[in-house]
Amino acid sequence: MNWGSERLECYCAGPISEATAPAASLIVQHLAKSYEVGGRIVPVIADLSLTLDNSQIVSIVGPSGCGKTTLLNTLCGLLKPDSGRISWYGREIIGQPQNVGYMLQKDLLLPWRTALGNVMLGLEIRGVSAREAKDRSRAMLDQLGLHGFADHYPSTLSGGMRQRVALARTLVNEPAVLLLDEPFASLDFQNKLLIESDTAKLVRKGGRSLLLITHDIEEAVSLADQVIVLSKRPSQVKAVYNIALGIERTDMMAARDSRDFSKYVRQIWADLDVVLQ
Amino acid sequence: MTANTDSETRLITRVSTQKPVSPATRRWSRIRTAGIVLATQVTLLTVLLGFWEHMTANNKQAAFMFGSPSAMAGFLGRMAGDGSLWRDSYVTGLETLLGFLVGNFVGTLFGLSLWYSRFVSRVVEPFVIALGSIPIIALAPIIIIWFGTGLISKVAMSTLSVVIVALVTSYKGAAGVDPDQVNLMRTLGASKFQIFCKLVVPASLADIFAGLKLTVGFALIGAIVGEFMSSSEGLGHAIFKAGSLYIIPKVFAALVATIALALLLTFVVGRIERLLMPWRRIH
Repeated sequence: MNWGSERLECYCAGPISEATAPAASLIVQHLAKSYEVGGRIVPVIADLSLTLDNSQIVSIVGPSGCGKTTLLNTLCGLLKPDSGRISWYGREIIGQPQNVGYMLQKDLLLPWRTALGNVMLGLEIRGVSAREAKDRSRAMLDQLGLHGFADHYPSTLSGGMRQRVALARTLVNEPAVLLLDEPFASLDFQNKLLIESDTAKLVRKGGRSLLLITHDIEEAVSLADQVIVLSKRPSQVKAVYNIALGIERTDMMAARDSRDFSKYVRQIWADLDVVLQ
Repeated sequence: MTANTDSETRLITRVSTQKPVSPATRRWSRIRTAGIVLATQVTLLTVLLGFWEHMTANNKQAAFMFGSPSAMAGFLGRMAGDGSLWRDSYVTGLETLLGFLVGNFVGTLFGLSLWYSRFVSRVVEPFVIALGSIPIIALAPIIIIWFGTGLISKVAMSTLSVVIVALVTSYKGAAGVDPDQVNLMRTLGASKFQIFCKLVVPASLADIFAGLKLTVGFALIGAIVGEFMSSSEGLGHAIFKAGSLYIIPKVFAALVATIALALLLTFVVGRIERLLMPWRRIH
């Protein structure tokens, strides 16, 4: 299913103007991926195409087990696709794409490092000087409301704070594109709204792109410019919605109050065709 | 109704009288618990030694067969006086420590580096299991032929008792690293060596230290068995000699020194563990 023509009404925020816009951050064309389980080939992704423009937030929702995580791992170069093309910033890349931040539901913080040490990890790996890495990481923790917790070990932080540290670890590398796989799924409602708002602010202010995989329809609609609904496994694109709520898109509560919010949620819910199993 | 209100008030009073526990109180209660544990341990030991002393006090045959705490203490005092206690403890301690260090270093190095290659680890696995199943004492005659009857042969025995355990525990630690965490490192652009240094080694520390604590005893067994085979000094030598001469209390005296040595080494390892893994202290 090609939906390129539907992108006209796409809501775009961010500093990059249309005139100078370079190639889209991420273009996926006819991606297919299957696993071999006990000698049988199980197709997970049938045929998937999508485009993530610069400074755009795209959400992917789908029924559970539809291969969302497989998709993300394939995009990151951790898995090899069977067929199809993935191009980052207009080029096809072998291995891990540069400038891409990746975050999962599990915070994956290293227990032997303090919050600050965990945030510094990426900078350290890239050989940034210890002093600069420390300053930048501290500033990022402050921005995410973790001032004063830099020297705490993860085991002493709450779930919401740990996820914030993980977000800081992703953002401190200043990735052009963020790939998030149900990053807030384990948080309670209040914490989730707060961290979603912060994420939206930091992503939109920095002119970054975000691909968010989630099963939470409200999260998808309130955060994203575009929601892609996947079908059951083997998955393909079932529907694409360009979300126009007509408000400032960094306030998750306001998004829920806006006129069309529930309309989108209901439509997507219908598309997902959820049945009790 | 009155009864109901009454119980409600009581409930509220009970809740409100519950003061927040101050750190000092909490600390005191912790010390008290530790004190009770220690007192129970001392009582148990005293009862055991008292029973032993009582049963052997007026019974020459029993005293000959089982020794007695008082005779054991006498031997300990005499051995300390003539310096043989310190000399033997030093010799056995040195053999144990060297075997412990060499065995753990080599074992851990191999165990961790097996993480690097799934292929190599699969090739090596049956060999490791085979080597691990050899009773070390069966190697003693060969060790003496190869390394003589001095210090080196005991260190070799001790090393061999340790090395396979250290290899298996450290490999288990390295292989148990969360694959999602490895993926995260990869997406951050880490090389395999960086993943090894920044993730695999620290993640394996808990297992490595579990292995270290376990192998203190194994290193000591190796050293003592080595001394049993052929030696002129050491606690194993003292035990073997006293045993052959039927001086049971002296066997027990040397045994007490051996236990003290093991406790000391375990304590030191525990201290180093706390020092190297500060994040495990806070809970």
